[in-house]
Amino acid sequence: MTTTLKCCVFSLLALLFLCAGLSGCSRKQDNSIAIWEQMDPEEQKLLDARLAAFQASHPGVTVTRLHFETELLRTQFQTAALAGGGPCLVFGPSDQIGPMSTMKLIQPLNQLLGAEFLSSFMAGSLDTLNGQVYAVPDQVGNHLALVYNKKYVKEAPANTDELIAIARKNTVDENGDGVADRYGLVFNTVEPFWLAPFLGGFGGWIMDSQFQPTLDSPAMVKALAFVRDLRLKYAVMPKECDYQQAETLFKEGKAAMIINGPWSWGGYIGAGIDIGVVPIPRVSETGLWPSPMVSSKGYSVNVHCPKEKMPVVKELLDFLTSTENQLESARKLKMLPARKAAADAIESVGDPFLEGSLAQLRLGRRMPVVPEMRAIWDSMRPAFQNVLNGETSPEAAATQMQKAAVESIAKMKE
Amino acid sequence: MKASTEKRLFPYLLILPTIIVMVTVVAYPLVYNFVLSFKNMSMYHYYDAKFVGFRHYASIFTERDLYWVFGKTLIWTVANLFFHVVLGVGIAMVLNGRIIGSGAFRSLLILPWAVPQYICALTWRGMFNYEYGAVNLILKNVLHLAPIPWFSDATWAFVAPIITNVWLGFPFMMIVALGGLQSIPRELYEAAELDGAGVFGKFKNVTLPLLKPILAPAVVLGTVWTFNNMNVIWLVTGGGLPADKTHILVTYIYKAAFTYYRYSYAAAFSVIVFFLLLGFTFAFMRYFKITEAVFE
Amino acid sequence: MSGRTTRILAHVFLIIVTLATIYPIVQIVGISLRPADRLYSTSLRIIPEDATGRAYHAVVFEKDFLLWLRNSTIVSAIVTLVGLALAATAGYVFSRFRFVARRFGLYSLLIAQMFPATMLLLPLYVLMKGLHLLDSIAGLAVAYVATALPFCVWTMKGYYDTIPKELEEAALIDGASYWRAFRTVVLPLAAPALAITGIFSFMSAWSEFMVARVIISTRTLYTLPLGLESLSSTFQTEWANYAAGSVLVSLPVVLLFVFLNRYFVSGLTLGGVKQ
Repeated sequence: MTTTLKCCVFSLLALLFLCAGLSGCSRKQDNSIAIWEQMDPEEQKLLDARLAAFQASHPGVTVTRLHFETELLRTQFQTAALAGGGPCLVFGPSDQIGPMSTMKLIQPLNQLLGAEFLSSFMAGSLDTLNGQVYAVPDQVGNHLALVYNKKYVKEAPANTDELIAIARKNTVDENGDGVADRYGLVFNTVEPFWLAPFLGGFGGWIMDSQFQPTLDSPAMVKALAFVRDLRLKYAVMPKECDYQQAETLFKEGKAAMIINGPWSWGGYIGAGIDIGVVPIPRVSETGLWPSPMVSSKGYSVNVHCPKEKMPVVKELLDFLTSTENQLESARKLKMLPARKAAADAIESVGDPFLEGSLAQLRLGRRMPVVPEMRAIWDSMRPAFQNVLNGETSPEAAATQMQKAAVESIAKMKE
Repeated sequence: MKASTEKRLFPYLLILPTIIVMVTVVAYPLVYNFVLSFKNMSMYHYYDAKFVGFRHYASIFTERDLYWVFGKTLIWTVANLFFHVVLGVGIAMVLNGRIIGSGAFRSLLILPWAVPQYICALTWRGMFNYEYGAVNLILKNVLHLAPIPWFSDATWAFVAPIITNVWLGFPFMMIVALGGLQSIPRELYEAAELDGAGVFGKFKNVTLPLLKPILAPAVVLGTVWTFNNMNVIWLVTGGGLPADKTHILVTYIYKAAFTYYRYSYAAAFSVIVFFLLLGFTFAFMRYFKITEAVFE
Repeated sequence: MSGRTTRILAHVFLIIVTLATIYPIVQIVGISLRPADRLYSTSLRIIPEDATGRAYHAVVFEKDFLLWLRNSTIVSAIVTLVGLALAATAGYVFSRFRFVARRFGLYSLLIAQMFPATMLLLPLYVLMKGLHLLDSIAGLAVAYVATALPFCVWTMKGYYDTIPKELEEAALIDGASYWRAFRTVVLPLAAPALAITGIFSFMSAWSEFMVARVIISTRTLYTLPLGLESLSSTFQTEWANYAAGSVLVSLPVVLLFVFLNRYFVSGLTLGGVKQ
């Protein structure tokens, strides 16, 4: 018996010691600032270099970063912040501001940063909710533009009629096997984010100034019909075209044009495609420019970040979003800056991609950051896909979207 | 210490560590969710959620789509488990015979389990692509059948993740069955043969009853895991394609919690799923008398 | 049907099934060899024309792959050993002894598995924070053992159920203690179930992502799944690296299985028991 008892007690004790010992191995330091981000690989590299520079000039301060995929970043941050923890800074797209500020997970920054600091940013780059700024932007963009392969497209289209003509010309089946070997125009037809520019181009928009959805409009019907025709009538894109599919085709040189945002252009250049970037051409029917959504990406501050760290946090924010750093990002990553001084200096950089990007940016519309946006995207997605499958008419889809959006928003407010 | 005291203490001592671990890790999250389901925590009531009683439960049962989504979840679960078990046990039985290179076969056949699920699911998604996917290319060029619009059609879009999940899950059943087959002494098969039993007779009277105790936990837990499996459907259909028609209960819950921030609603939903599965487990175990031993 | 034909058919069947099974895996290897991070491809070629092994080099040497490997190995080893120890013993008790809360205990093991995991993550975080087990190997180990135990205990119990009690009883009559009888008579016969338990516990830790994501927020403690995930962004994932990493991650599992293969052999014969 004693042997058995000894065995059990010993194992239990060993287990406990193991636990205690191992948990001691990794105590977090308390004088460090953590940043959680969802940046693309190239951005991460730049951030690492900047953090190293900051730590070199601020001995005694440690700044660490942790990378998450965007959706995971949101859920993880929510989980941690709800439990009273989480990083001091969280970097992400501006649409995270709405929900997070409503749930009181991030702090309003007007008082912390001061009016003078905030006024050094372009007015259009700062998103405010109820008059308060919740994120310090380090770039403006995220806007879709028309990217074309110069090998197949010599001159960019001036309007959508030309766009369709060029796309049709470039959808060829060279070896006659019934599958096109090259498509004219591809883009992600799963996410309604890619529908938004055309909605603007036909004169409509997602919501009105009271943040109520306005999805049931003639403009929406026309925009839906337009995209549907691209796929079903003119067949300039494959039957099921999602983000990865569009990317693959364009990178393999099997698509003449793609609609995608600045984060992707570097990848195409890296794949050896000679690209040109221009604004999505005017809608022939209305003469309006399509207005892709423009948003900033920036740093927000966790409400649980201790007050003692605030001065360093403020300096860090100023450094990371400084004019020099933003110009560097512009040169290396084709990201448009948010600081006034940097934006003014952009012409001096002389990069045709940046100029094309800027041209599109000017025609874009700010993405709303209110919490209702999620419900709206979610309501648009199924109806959008139904139209593209030919299952629903654009008129019915627009009504569906509006109804679903209104219902979801009401449920969220329960 | 006397032998009788040892006899009484022995089982409890042996079980104690297991109980400690399970209670610690499991009790709190479960209770938390139960409590949460009676509050109204959502984006607008994050820190100040109050008790609202059975409101969420009521709204769930009157939800228009609930029964349709539940039905799909059942189809998903049953289809998966059926093929998992049939393939797993079938392959295990073949492997258990005199096979040359059985070690190599076994090692290759567990690859679906070994390679990370995320990239497997995405690769399958690519294989179901209408124009360029391997599945349609084989259908067209090798079998001379029409290609299937996997993600444009709601039914096929449901079949695709089922195929993927069957591929992902059969190795697990295969391993369990292989292990279980080892508990059957060869003499029993010989005795059955002497009694004149053929292939099916041997399977029914020798293999199945002796495989039951080891296969049953895998089937029950496999059912529960499949019922609650969000990742495969989400990844293969790209988030509910087409048009949210491939949702099962657990993806619905995920959306409620993380897209709409309706935490309490999602918690209530989860509690309902929990009781559903608990009921199933009870019924299954009772019917097949799983908690008893074989030789009793 | 002659025995010979059956055997040939069996081999053919296995070959076909194996080929179908490994085809997607081969595709993943293809992704890892493609330059420019192309997840999909328009051609059926497995080895792309411009294949390069760069991704493997990048994952191991430019990323912290070895660090992730170390962390994952430690956690998985702990979980496997603890899981085996707890399941082998608890399963035995549930199989052989009849005590007050036996049925209840067995069922309650399954309870946690029935709750949709997504909703358990937030309270798990709160719990781990309270126990000071966040950002620690120990915290991960505890969570994973709790995940693996239900299946392992049930499986061990099930296997023990097929081992006749007469065998231990013979040893007990000869004067051995309960522990001795268990250790020397029953345990060796349960080798196949131990192998299943071992590999399942290992997999619960080795390839698990969600719990690790919640508990670990320090890069030096990243396990392999977390490390792989850090290669992905919303639109611009480093697919080649990710695929290469996935291939590398699955090798230890296969190796473990090859090692455990020898235990999938029957140890039980009726000759040991006097009928």
